[in-house]
Amino acid sequence: MEKILTRNIHKENSPSIEVYEAGGGYQAYRKAIPSMGPDEVTEQVKKSGLRGRGGAGFPCGLKWSFMPKEKNKPHYLLVNADESEPGTFKDRLLMELDPHLVIEGSMLSAYAIRADVCYIYIRGEFVRPAEVMNRAIAEAYAKGYAGRNICGSDWSCELVVHRGAGAYICGEETALMTSLEGDRGYPRNKPPFPAQSGFFGCPTTINNVETLSCVSFIIERGADWFLTIGPDEKNSGPKLYCLSGHVKRPGVYEGPMGLPLMELIHELGGGMLREDRPLKAVIPGGSSVPVLRAEECEVNLDFDSLMKAGSALGSAGIMVMDSSTCMVNALHRIAYFYDHESCGQCTPCRQGTGWMRRILERIENGQGRTEDIDLLKNVADNIEGNTICALGDAAAWPVQSFVKKFRDEFQAHVDAGKCTVLSNA
Amino acid sequence: MPKFTLDGEEIEAPAGTTILQAALSRGKEIPHFCYHPGLSVVGNCRICLVEVEKAPKLVIACWSPVQDGMVVHTQTEKIKEAQNAVMEFLLINHPLDCPICDQAGECKLQDQAVEYGTGVSRYTEPKLALAKAVDIGKHVMLDQERCIQCSRCIRFCDEITGTGELAFFQRGERSQIGVFPGKRLDNPYSGNVVDICPVGALTLKEFRFKTRVWYLENTPSICAGCARGCNVMVATGTQQQLMTTRGQQDDRIKRIVPRVNPEVNGHWMCDEGRLSHQRLDAVGRLEQAASPAGTPVEWEAAVERAAGQIKTAAEAGRLGLVVSPRLTTETMFAWKRLLDALGGAKVGVHRIERGGDDALLILRDKGANSTGARWVFGEGAAADDVLGAAACGEIDTLVVLGDALDPEDSVQVTEEARSRLQHLVYVGSFEDAAAGQATLVLPAAAWAEEDGTLVNFDGRIQRLRRAHLPRGERRPGWRVAADLAADAGIEMPDWSSAADVLDSLAAGVGPYQGLNEEKIGMLGVPAAAAATGA
Repeated sequence: MEKILTRNIHKENSPSIEVYEAGGGYQAYRKAIPSMGPDEVTEQVKKSGLRGRGGAGFPCGLKWSFMPKEKNKPHYLLVNADESEPGTFKDRLLMELDPHLVIEGSMLSAYAIRADVCYIYIRGEFVRPAEVMNRAIAEAYAKGYAGRNICGSDWSCELVVHRGAGAYICGEETALMTSLEGDRGYPRNKPPFPAQSGFFGCPTTINNVETLSCVSFIIERGADWFLTIGPDEKNSGPKLYCLSGHVKRPGVYEGPMGLPLMELIHELGGGMLREDRPLKAVIPGGSSVPVLRAEECEVNLDFDSLMKAGSALGSAGIMVMDSSTCMVNALHRIAYFYDHESCGQCTPCRQGTGWMRRILERIENGQGRTEDIDLLKNVADNIEGNTICALGDAAAWPVQSFVKKFRDEFQAHVDAGKCTVLSNA
Repeated sequence: MPKFTLDGEEIEAPAGTTILQAALSRGKEIPHFCYHPGLSVVGNCRICLVEVEKAPKLVIACWSPVQDGMVVHTQTEKIKEAQNAVMEFLLINHPLDCPICDQAGECKLQDQAVEYGTGVSRYTEPKLALAKAVDIGKHVMLDQERCIQCSRCIRFCDEITGTGELAFFQRGERSQIGVFPGKRLDNPYSGNVVDICPVGALTLKEFRFKTRVWYLENTPSICAGCARGCNVMVATGTQQQLMTTRGQQDDRIKRIVPRVNPEVNGHWMCDEGRLSHQRLDAVGRLEQAASPAGTPVEWEAAVERAAGQIKTAAEAGRLGLVVSPRLTTETMFAWKRLLDALGGAKVGVHRIERGGDDALLILRDKGANSTGARWVFGEGAAADDVLGAAACGEIDTLVVLGDALDPEDSVQVTEEARSRLQHLVYVGSFEDAAAGQATLVLPAAAWAEEDGTLVNFDGRIQRLRRAHLPRGERRPGWRVAADLAADAGIEMPDWSSAADVLDSLAAGVGPYQGLNEEKIGMLGVPAAAAATGA
């Protein structure tokens, strides 16, 4: 497949506006503003079938269409660059190596939703991406791509980078808004949805970096072209896959939506790290999605195929585990993460994540009891669906799936009082 | 109005009403911790989960507005499981120290654990050990372990007082409430966070460890601290405690908490009012008639002497009366009636003013019945005029009706006035300055010792109720007037209770027209309604 999202990243000085424009950058932007109306841009994106790349896979154009057409209050576009899901590192690459792609897509989207300000909320640990983005934004302002009367139109929109302070929860869209408002990053109950009442109570759209980076291509080449990539109209477009774990060449790979998982591992990723250690499991969408057993891995990496397989594409953080992996240990590490990152606002997640982590700690340390395995799953069941935001679900799904799919390994841990996988490896 | 179904019952509720509000207003209990009717809704405790047909998952009743055609279930097996689960989560790191916790007996966590919990915990790990007895403000102590992070106290300081001293610190199960560095929870309404804390995490320094709440007897009454007239519950010790712990009479006031009245104080009250009962014991109390101060005499003898002095002065047109603005309208009315019958007196109402009006409840006018005094004695009657008249020698006998709540708030009789007075009759509850100067002292009931009515700044007539029996020989001010009348041979109605005086008031004072205790009720009535007899 032709490289789309990553076409610039290997060029020398790829973050500069000159390189970006020489490669055809900002053509879509100039084409759309002001000759295309905001609704026309939304319509194209709707037609393209573009779905959110941040995790939930919500149709992007549909989300934009929830924004009011009449402006009674300022509109905001918030670019979610708080990429923190374990196993996910695609947005960082775009921001570091092709910041103008992010900017062009973001500003086109800001135009579509009639935004007055576009904030790029960058994860606190992303020092370099924030620096690169800021330099690129200054270039964009100098060229008149942001600020007052953009491209000679009567539309004005500011573009601002805001750096987070290192909390995973701030990648949850409503927590991101609260954090950006200057408060503690707590998620909000829905409804109201951000398009009704978001940032400072104003109509707001929040999109992931990679999602927005697709927009300029859709405008430049058309929705129909976008639909030719990927299996169907609900799973379309180019996609970045973050491959990590026990493979020879981990990294970010671009492919069409619906790339077969085994092709990613064996062709792009160069195969398993060690020939003598076969594939055991894959988490296909960042640490929060249900794990797949090796025999379930003949699956295509798109929203609907993975949904059918009982997992999710999530943020496309593909974590590959070979036979040397202790699933109790792996789950303990994941549970530790969610315990550490639970914001503590609502009861089930605040108390449940710590409880699950402690049970796993005990099993791992050889002090587990048989009833702990059911207890663990039940605690996860009690969190799932009962929390304000999806972090509760994100903490529960891996526990439920690990226990369901690798129960014998948990039982072996309890019976032996130690890890049988690591000691045999 | 949206029509919806709640557990099979079709209900109409105004648009915007949440499922929880609709249920509560129909007397249906849905468990909740973080929801408080006086604060914004955050939906963080998650125990009010209910099932809404066609919704993909359980929804929280406190957040979800009712919608036309909505079908809500609150009693299904799925909800029971969810409630059990949330209850279990709330308790895993809770110390379960009810036996030594002040909140026990009025703890929402305790009550709802009984109602909605399973009674057992599957949590076998060590509980989090957090700071206990943290001194966060002048009146408030914090126990981090008991806190269930409902954020009511934080919202109170953000939304009601706007002072924002409190916040969450840390994350996840390690999150704790606390004061910002360098700040203390010292706003004038800080005690309210103790009331709204659903658990024993926030306790009032002045109440903690004093008593178990089930030994308290609560009397609905009115705070006499200022002209706002906040509705309160006055809690006193009871006989039961006497038998188990102290072996002696202990019906003193243990605490005062606000009582909800949307027309007056909402859900809140100020710290000054909350602790006003401490003022009742600030100096020695008067329990016996005396003439002069310090020399006890029989009540009858004292009344005889006082009646004689007052009658003589009144007939000579040389009688003065200074009235505290914190007395009941009943007492004021009885004295007015007595003096009118005797031939009149120069009457002045003492003014107590401190600070300014704030945006919430506190008023500069500390006279809880300034309005009632105006209604009885008319406009313009000032205590200073009466004292001035005494200093000029225009009157030779002065009756002081002392303050019922705070000994420091009784009128100060100037040395100049005192020196020219022949008789100074003090009717009050405290051995305060005026009492010390008196030639004759008649003990009268203090604020919590009598029934009656007070009229707030807004002209709202509200009922004060007796929380405990008067100490010693103290009796209500209206009864003192009646005793004096009887001795002076004045015909007065045969009053045997404050309700009887109220009947006379209802016939004699315009805004009280047609009222009785029942009509005034728990929440009082505005004067306008009273005037039209509604």
